[in-house]
Amino acid sequence: MSQPTGVIHDIGYRHYDGPRLGRGGAVVALWIYSLRGTFGLGRTFKSKIMPFLLFGAMMLPAVVSIAIMALLKQEPMSYPDYAVFMQAVTAIFLAAQSPVLVAPDLRHKVIPLYLSRPVTIVDYIGAKLAAMITALLILLVVPITVQFVGEMLIDLPMPLHTHEYLAALGGSVINAVLLASIGLALASFTPRRGLGVASVIAFYMFTLAASAVLTGVLESEGQRDAASWTILLNPFFLVNAVQTNLFGTQPVEGLPFPSGVAPALILLAVVALALTGLYARYRKALAA
Amino acid sequence: MTILATEALTKRYPRVTALDGLTVAVGTGVTGLVGANGAGKSTLIKILLGLVPASEGSARVLGLDPATQGQEIRRSVGYMPEHDCLPPDQSATEFVVHMARMSGLPRTTARERAADTLRHVGLQEERYRPIGGYSTGMKQRVKLAQALVHDPKVIFLDEPTNGLDPQGRDEMLRLVHRIGTEFGISVLVCSHLLGELERICDHVIVIDAGRLLRSSAIGELTQASQVISVEVEEGLEKLAARLTETGETVAVEGRALTVQVRADETYDLLRDAVVDLDLNLVRLEQRHARIEDVFR
Repeated sequence: MSQPTGVIHDIGYRHYDGPRLGRGGAVVALWIYSLRGTFGLGRTFKSKIMPFLLFGAMMLPAVVSIAIMALLKQEPMSYPDYAVFMQAVTAIFLAAQSPVLVAPDLRHKVIPLYLSRPVTIVDYIGAKLAAMITALLILLVVPITVQFVGEMLIDLPMPLHTHEYLAALGGSVINAVLLASIGLALASFTPRRGLGVASVIAFYMFTLAASAVLTGVLESEGQRDAASWTILLNPFFLVNAVQTNLFGTQPVEGLPFPSGVAPALILLAVVALALTGLYARYRKALAA
Repeated sequence: MTILATEALTKRYPRVTALDGLTVAVGTGVTGLVGANGAGKSTLIKILLGLVPASEGSARVLGLDPATQGQEIRRSVGYMPEHDCLPPDQSATEFVVHMARMSGLPRTTARERAADTLRHVGLQEERYRPIGGYSTGMKQRVKLAQALVHDPKVIFLDEPTNGLDPQGRDEMLRLVHRIGTEFGISVLVCSHLLGELERICDHVIVIDAGRLLRSSAIGELTQASQVISVEVEEGLEKLAARLTETGETVAVEGRALTVQVRADETYDLLRDAVVDLDLNLVRLEQRHARIEDVFR
């Protein structure tokens, strides 16, 4: 019989007196954990398919645009309009991934475990919101940045679109904040993931249709002023309007957006409303 | 050493008063918090964690005030809720690591402590499988592990034996006892089953409708109500009558007679009575007093 080469000792319970990162560390950890979750990283293969497919779709116009710049020496795709053109893809990403962030914890009643730790409810919501904003930024910023790098590398017979690119970056931030607030607020109202997806996509379809129909009707009636407001019902046009007024870029498709600070105020009001709803939802969960 | 204390703690909800002027003190070791469902146990834990404000009165946990220093308290306290709280699609390891990080442990420490803690609560290879496929006993262990992973000073366990079969119940109770003794972590364990707490607790607090019924060391509690049970073939009434004459407190319980032990002579009196009446003695045993008797 051979001698045992290793012996497992039961060393008993060990106390921990090492560093504790506390609340800040926990919030950062939750932000990164949730961000990874929106792309299915650290999850099953199945949960990676949708986000990566959508990310690929977002990249497609940039890649085509680079090819056109290189081969035909033509203008790149408009930076400020990229988000509007690709709004369906962004909306599907928001609808598919918002419930991933909020539904499981609500459904399986994990929230009390977070709250029995240094994390507060505001930290929790903040980390989830930051994760969604970051995910949307990756989705919106990476394609235009790749296209801009492409434009810099290819020698075009025209000046670089630096201002448009920077304006689009600013627009992306506004877009990400608005969409993440709406997406999480809507998704958090149901603990069921499927319903969350449906409610976000339904909201987008509704705003899309309402914006198009109302604007069409008002324009045919000759009410151009009113039509310029109803168009803002679609969140992507609202962001484009704010971007146009803020950075002085051309509006998408030459749309006659209302000028001044009004669109920005509407956007802020929508974000505030969504965040209030989100907070109220979790206050209710906390009391239960 | 006092781990936590409350002073005239009251919590009123719009319709019910969950806690009504509760004043208790809990020391180190394992303390049982006993009460029927709705007695205010869970409300007390929520107040102690600083999640719910008290209507009146005050509390201290580890010398800190939950109303203003909830954050510091929650850093050094573990909480195992009564309800299900586990995501079925994650493995126990993933989940406990994540919860360790939510307690502020650095990444590598979180991994090490999660592995250690899961071993201590008795989860082996199955900890890599999704929690959805676990038995109730295994799920309870994961819930316990997440409460222990950050090495708290105090741990609140809300009905840890809920839904377990007798064997699982024994194992869980043994584990809770080990946490209080070997691990050196103070435990406040809630239960509506009184019998199981007396096996593991050093101290028991009994609350009813948000009020303190009794708070005493486990020894005192069981000593206070020693009872012997007697069973004879025939003539139970005669025996009862004779013992009552001599000043003993007796009660007929089915086919047996229970006699309160007043002093040592109770045993002699009982023996003599059985002999005098010429009864056939079937059984004579000292009944282990139960915490239930406190409610009688």
